[in-house]
Amino acid sequence: MTDVEQFEAFVRAHQDMVFATAVRLLGNPAEAEDVAQTVFLKAFEQFDTLRSSPAAAGWLRTVSRNTCLNHLSRYRSRWRLFSELGGADSEAEPSYESSLRAADSPGRDLERADDRERLEQALRHLPAHQRVPLVLFHFEEASYEEIARALRISLAKVKTDIHRGREALRKALVHGSR
Amino acid sequence: MDPADLERVIDRELRALPPPHAPRALLPRVMAAVEERVQRPWYTRAWLQWPVGWQFASALALLSVVAAGSVLLPQLRDAIMALTFVANVRGDVAESAREVEVATTAVRVVWRTLLAPVVPWAFGLITLMCAACAVFGTALNHLVFGRAFR
Repeated sequence: MTDVEQFEAFVRAHQDMVFATAVRLLGNPAEAEDVAQTVFLKAFEQFDTLRSSPAAAGWLRTVSRNTCLNHLSRYRSRWRLFSELGGADSEAEPSYESSLRAADSPGRDLERADDRERLEQALRHLPAHQRVPLVLFHFEEASYEEIARALRISLAKVKTDIHRGREALRKALVHGSR
Repeated sequence: MDPADLERVIDRELRALPPPHAPRALLPRVMAAVEERVQRPWYTRAWLQWPVGWQFASALALLSVVAAGSVLLPQLRDAIMALTFVANVRGDVAESAREVEVATTAVRVVWRTLLAPVVPWAFGLITLMCAACAVFGTALNHLVFGRAFR
């Protein structure tokens, strides 16, 4: 098997993970595809060491995350601005857990699939200043401090943005399950 | 909802999401970019991607340039200083030559305009004075010292 064929197998094995990381951080499939291509080209340059490394997936995940953050960095000042402008959105809403409990029926599996699709879409449509720290926290398992350092923003802002993002997701799920 | 509960619920829901699948176009696109990269001549790639022989040769060439530079640099500095000195001397000589030329021109002008017209007259005057001195001396010899010299 040639290097190129081995690399094709490597891409096939990891493309979903790289694309998922990118599309969740960027919220845009076309940009995520560009970033995924960039990540795999970097991987090709390191393929001699990556092909036999058990840490290849971790390497790809880290490079994907950093490439996405670099891609987004030009918008960081805009996140800050919009984050400051974002109003308090604390209108009374029913709890998502209560809606889950209420909707316990035979067709629930289909509804759950719909919910997941809705949640994925809601996540992608969050503003970047909420989506990026939220994804880093819940999918990349980064701590608040690590996120603050990576995005070069204050800890308080990270917590506020993540909380607002979670609230937005909860509302999307509650509205969808009515 | 309490923030801690919200975090727990959203975390559970997000982790339950199936990972989005990469579009079918991604793999061919990546492989086309890889093929294009493989086809590129080795010297257009990053240095780490060069063939080992060329990496070694280029590193050796770089070391040679650095070594030659460190050896030649002091000599080069001396040569530059010598050249600067010569240039300064040449500048001084040229300056002096220009001054001499100016002085010569001035002397020539003064000669042509003031002295040259007077020279024949001065020569004639000097000749006449010499003749007058000779006549005066002869007369004096005959009249006062003539006998004494006999």
